[in-house]
Amino acid sequence: MAGDRPIKFRILELCDNSGKWNYEIVQQIQKEYGLKGDYWRDSINFDIIELASGGLLKDVEAKVDEEGIYKKGFLLHKYVLTDFGKVRATDACLMYV
Amino acid sequence: MDLKALQKQERQKRVKYGYMWALFCAVLWGLWYLPGTAVWVLNPFDEMYGEIAAGSGDGVALVVVAVLITAFNALTVILALMVWNGTLGKLGEMKRTLKEIKPCTKWFFLASIFGGPIAILGSFMAMGFVGGAFAAVAALLYPVVGSALAAKWYGEKISKRAFAGIVIIILGGITIFGGGVLTELGSGNVMWLGYLGGLMAATGWGIEGAIAGKGLDIAEPDIGITLRFLGENIIWWIIIVPVLAIAGFPMFKYALLVFEPLVLLVLVFAGITFGFCYVSWYKSFPLIGVGRGQGIANLYGLFAVISIYLFFGDVPSWTIIVGGALCLIGSTVMFSEDTGEIESLRGD
Repeated sequence: MAGDRPIKFRILELCDNSGKWNYEIVQQIQKEYGLKGDYWRDSINFDIIELASGGLLKDVEAKVDEEGIYKKGFLLHKYVLTDFGKVRATDACLMYV
Repeated sequence: MDLKALQKQERQKRVKYGYMWALFCAVLWGLWYLPGTAVWVLNPFDEMYGEIAAGSGDGVALVVVAVLITAFNALTVILALMVWNGTLGKLGEMKRTLKEIKPCTKWFFLASIFGGPIAILGSFMAMGFVGGAFAAVAALLYPVVGSALAAKWYGEKISKRAFAGIVIIILGGITIFGGGVLTELGSGNVMWLGYLGGLMAATGWGIEGAIAGKGLDIAEPDIGITLRFLGENIIWWIIIVPVLAIAGFPMFKYALLVFEPLVLLVLVFAGITFGFCYVSWYKSFPLIGVGRGQGIANLYGLFAVISIYLFFGDVPSWTIIVGGALCLIGSTVMFSEDTGEIESLRGD
């Protein structure tokens, strides 16, 4: 089941309800799709940025990564699904209520 | 460093890269008109034109040769994109996306109908019969079609400012087309098919953009454009080229003659410039917003006219320069208001 649909579909699913921090999304996607290393970390993060710029996700909170859970000294962002994102997610047949 | 300073730094970095990608797109797009124009005088296409023109007339020859050139363009573009996706390790994601027929692939294939047999074929027709500068500048009208459709299909509002931009672009379009047609009316020889091609480029790309957007916002753009070109290759190589061959045109005879170093070089150059202009176009959108991305990418008209002048020494007529300038001003007016996307990247 995990890792058999496009990565962006899964990102939309993960951001539903209360939202998720970008490092949580990236880590979970890397695990589910078996994508290891910094290259994929940045690539998945760019997917999140694309979804946000397309208006499907909204950046609701930001904090500095003090402990280096993602990239030390960089910003962490928390995203939620927007109304438009919910509509598009439904078009894409996501299993979300 | 505090949160505010970091947010500012992150935003500046994104915007810088976004402008870089958009400019990269404009340069590559402009360069594409060089191989696109040059290929017409190369064999086997020149010879093919002669053979078909002798039997069926110039008009038919123009369209049939443009079909074969566009088909080869699609082939080299998809080769360039497959190498690109393979290098990025995205072939697995491509398979996953291809399987999503309803939300993704359907839209990319639909977009390829308007992008390929209408927009790109039209561009090659305009390049072949009127000239590269005209083809490049005529296509600058595409945002008018795109925004009209977005308003009709998605209920997007057209602001006063965008409307002012559209009016300026249309005035530019009238200058470009009207100027050319009037000059040729004087000489009694109007290349109607070339002008039709220019119109096809503008409407085709406008429609393609509006349709492809449906699948692109939930897929990887690198993959989305590859699937869109997969669709175009199917249209040319499985449907149109064989149908024309059955109708008696020497399609495969000349298709097999392209394996000459110079022809291949020109076709590969077309594939690389066109493929990567699409890639960098989509890369710029999340970083600076679709509006700014398209506005800057439209500088391709300028790059095309300049590079055609530098390489072929063709000085475009004043109507193309004035009309092109109006289109550039119009698209700047139209797109410069759109700050929403950048704001939404800020996280405040």
